[in-house]
Amino acid sequence: MSTRRDTKVRHFWLHVIAIVVGAFIVVPVAFGVLGGFKDNGQLSNNPFALPSPWVPENYTSILSSSGFWRPMFNSALIAVATVVLLVLVASMAAYVFARFNFRGRELLYTLFAAGLMFPFAVAILPLFVLLRELSLLNSPLGVILPQAAFGLPMTIIILRSFFRTIPGEVEEAAILDGCTPFGFFWRILLPMARPALATVSVLALVASWNNFMLPLVVFTDPSWWTLPVGVQQFQGQYADDTARVLAYVVLAMVPALAFYAVAERQLVGGLASGATKG
Amino acid sequence: MKTTTQGPEGQLPAPTSHRTATRGSARRGPAPEQPRPRVEGSLRRRRRLDKLTVALFLAPAMALFVLLVVGPIALAIYTSLFKWNGFGGLPEDFVGLDNFRRLLEDDIFIGDLKRGLILVLLSIFVQLPVALGLALLLNQPMRGRAFYRVVFFAPYVLSEVITAVLFTMVFSPNQGLANQMMSALGLENLQQEWLANTSTVLYALFFVISWKYFGLHMILYLAGRQSIPKELTEAALTDGAGTWQVFRHITLPLLGPTIRISIFLSIIGAIQLFDMVWVLTGGGPIHSSETMAVTMFQYGFRRSEVGYASAISVAMFLISLVFALLYQRFVMRRDIEGAITTMREKR
Amino acid sequence: MTSPTNFSRRSVLGLAGLGAGAVLLGGCGDDGSGDSGDGSGSASIDWWHISNVDPMLTTWANLAKDFQTANPGVEIKITPLENEAFKAKLTTVTQAGTPPDIFHSWGGGVLKQQVEAGLVKELDLGDAAANINQNGLDIYKVDGKQYGAPFDLGMVGFWYNKELFEKAKITAPPATWGEFLDAVGKLKTAGITPIALAGSESWTAHFYWAYLAIRVAGVDGLAAAAADGSFDQADFVTAGTRFKELIDLDPFQRGFLGAKYSATDGQAAIMGNGQAAIELMGQWAPTTEAAYSTTKKGIGEKLGFFPFPGVDGGKGTVEDAFGGGNGFALGKDAPPQAAEFIKFLLTADSQRKGAASDSILPVTKGAEDALKDANLKSVHAAITKAPKFQLYLDQAYPPAVGTQVNDSVAELVAKKATPEKVAQDIAKVAKNQ
Repeated sequence: MSTRRDTKVRHFWLHVIAIVVGAFIVVPVAFGVLGGFKDNGQLSNNPFALPSPWVPENYTSILSSSGFWRPMFNSALIAVATVVLLVLVASMAAYVFARFNFRGRELLYTLFAAGLMFPFAVAILPLFVLLRELSLLNSPLGVILPQAAFGLPMTIIILRSFFRTIPGEVEEAAILDGCTPFGFFWRILLPMARPALATVSVLALVASWNNFMLPLVVFTDPSWWTLPVGVQQFQGQYADDTARVLAYVVLAMVPALAFYAVAERQLVGGLASGATKG
Repeated sequence: MKTTTQGPEGQLPAPTSHRTATRGSARRGPAPEQPRPRVEGSLRRRRRLDKLTVALFLAPAMALFVLLVVGPIALAIYTSLFKWNGFGGLPEDFVGLDNFRRLLEDDIFIGDLKRGLILVLLSIFVQLPVALGLALLLNQPMRGRAFYRVVFFAPYVLSEVITAVLFTMVFSPNQGLANQMMSALGLENLQQEWLANTSTVLYALFFVISWKYFGLHMILYLAGRQSIPKELTEAALTDGAGTWQVFRHITLPLLGPTIRISIFLSIIGAIQLFDMVWVLTGGGPIHSSETMAVTMFQYGFRRSEVGYASAISVAMFLISLVFALLYQRFVMRRDIEGAITTMREKR
Repeated sequence: MTSPTNFSRRSVLGLAGLGAGAVLLGGCGDDGSGDSGDGSGSASIDWWHISNVDPMLTTWANLAKDFQTANPGVEIKITPLENEAFKAKLTTVTQAGTPPDIFHSWGGGVLKQQVEAGLVKELDLGDAAANINQNGLDIYKVDGKQYGAPFDLGMVGFWYNKELFEKAKITAPPATWGEFLDAVGKLKTAGITPIALAGSESWTAHFYWAYLAIRVAGVDGLAAAAADGSFDQADFVTAGTRFKELIDLDPFQRGFLGAKYSATDGQAAIMGNGQAAIELMGQWAPTTEAAYSTTKKGIGEKLGFFPFPGVDGGKGTVEDAFGGGNGFALGKDAPPQAAEFIKFLLTADSQRKGAASDSILPVTKGAEDALKDANLKSVHAAITKAPKFQLYLDQAYPPAVGTQVNDSVAELVAKKATPEKVAQDIAKVAKNQ
């Protein structure tokens, strides 16, 4: 009847709006992808048309150069190391915050929570000086350790509230069976907390992968640059060669987007739950 | 707006654990109603073990945090009282609060504050309504809803650097997408040097920020919207309320907490904005897109005025802290109390 | 549940991975740039220079090869960088305390700060020093000791397109500031872009202000102001006002605020493609214009040079030169062979190679006979007889002041500050040093 037609009309407009917004997101990326297949002349002359001829050299030359794979490898190494360290240390701390009662517990927890107010930008300068004194510049540890440290607040908060939901009976049963606290932690609590661990790992991985400021100041040696630094340096060096820069940027997006395709639910769920909890 | 993995401050007093019996007591373990000598002894051992466990488990986190987070903040505060070019050792030239006095007169810093404010206002009055509208849109049953959601959120996972480099190309004066589109639509006179023109650069920056982050806010609103019970809206509709009225009187107020969090994230993000600005414009032209973090970076890492840069860091920190405290206390207090009540009731 | 001791395979693999990772991470790290050789003649030298375009790019590479052949066991790793990228990178490594073995330097206050931080090694030129231009060597002295050496010494002046001048019916290059403004007006009337300027790189605009400052206040006056920070004197406000007269004529190319210097659509390219009539630039202008032009040859014969005009009533003279050298400094960990390499680069023969391609104005006596270009010959002559010499302001002064000069002048060019404000801002920072 008329309501059904109204619904159809409404749905039509909803789709139109959604497509427009989707285009807003996709078009710049498409511009990048296609632009990488053109040369600069084509970019100036026929910007919207498909490349003709297709110039794969931009992409292939980047894919075959260590200037792309080295930063990729560095980013991966540092991200994994950061996540492992962070999750391990944070879960240990969250465990005692959640299951134990001791003097100063709330104070210490608040200290960590207040750490959310310390963004990298505030600490980067003295951190640089500190790392220099500790001879950690140009070393991956100089990025991994601070990243883990700065990830502690968020991770501890999420993990603590999750750990609190584990029923006490499970723990009491384990203790009666003679389990040490560490045993309980390692063999029972962590496996039970897999969803929360997955969420914090994903968040930490994305943050580490995309971190720019810290590797920028820590690594003066190009062989340790991570991907964001590599992208920026590439753009600075080849600023005139728009097509080439586009190719590099598009290739740099692939890992993030691939990871997103796999872990989207974790990411979205983690952020949404973090927000509604806060 | 921007957020790192640091979400909203979790200052909720944690929900009480299931074991209400042990709350307030200073020990764990079985309830000591009938302490038997055997259990008594193991209880004391348990308590020592507990203290040891707590210390050991907490030690790595404390070490990392104190050394690499608290330490630098303290060092920043210390250094901000000196004049120092940053080379080696520690600063020696004590100047007290001079750096801060200079900061208050510094046109660039005041400009940073103004620009930050503009970005925040744009976020609240432009980005937020759009994200909200889209969230409500995606809440409707329609085909492809999940697909749209995935697409809209995708830019969030890209680094700010990648986004900035991509958009440098998009805004490039000759070969960039923006100007090419203008000429294709016959709007040549609207073509600009988007990133080189002092009057357009801040808006171009805002455009890129929105592109990257509106998906995040949309997800937040979606989550918030979905936590509103359907019965409420349905009841109102059957009672004869129009869609707009339902929105204004039911949906919007119930979305209050989510909106407040979204604004909170936007503001914190604006205070720390660095990566995107640094790569997109470097703060230029003539500081017209500069933020506090960029200014701090310039003074600290380029001009070798580390003491002054530290003062900027401290200012950023204080602004974040004061804002967060005031915001939590005045704006979000009801939300927190409401959340606590809900949590208590849930159990 | 008894405590089982069998770790799951996954956790073992995880620990192994962690262990491997730890070894990897521990093993990697700061190898330290510029490891000194083991003293038996073999060494590795890290060399950063800014001649990232030909012909000098190849000339340096060939000279390095020659040195390596003559000194087996020495390996020279060259990192050519573009000007601005170099400045940023060098700042970073000096902050980190790990300067390369040989790096490009403009001397002056920036070098002084690096020396005071213990990052630069003293350079002993021995007998060779007598053959090198003294003004040039002085720029690289700190507290009387030699901390670097120039390979190129020149001055900044106006490079102009003779054909475009004819088109605008300008008969002779302007000799006074008033005549200069007239010439700009004539160019505009003829529909020619008068001046190419890289507005996004503030060092290019600071040339104008600096020259006006030394024309109005004299080189000594500028030096006095630098000593006590009194840049807010009337003379410097006048310099800014004169510059403003030019700026108000809108003489720069379209979109100049976003233009770079070394880019295919930048200042050098615009001159090289004949799209603007004038640029105020140093002695490297001809080769850079050619390198970034579409024909790769620049405007060739049509390129002329005239010195910065005088300002009526000013304390300086038209012969006073503003410019600087390009040179090298030794990093603190540089092996002794690095100093030998620098001396090698400063021999007359090596210098002739650079001069022959008109890329540098040599500092070693005798090498100037290799110069071919008439313009460069006259620049070289002008430099040799200049009564007073002023080094680039953003190098002569410590980084904080130099950056402020650049920033303030950029604001003036963008019409966002008055000459008074420019003078005051610079004075404020200078007095704060």
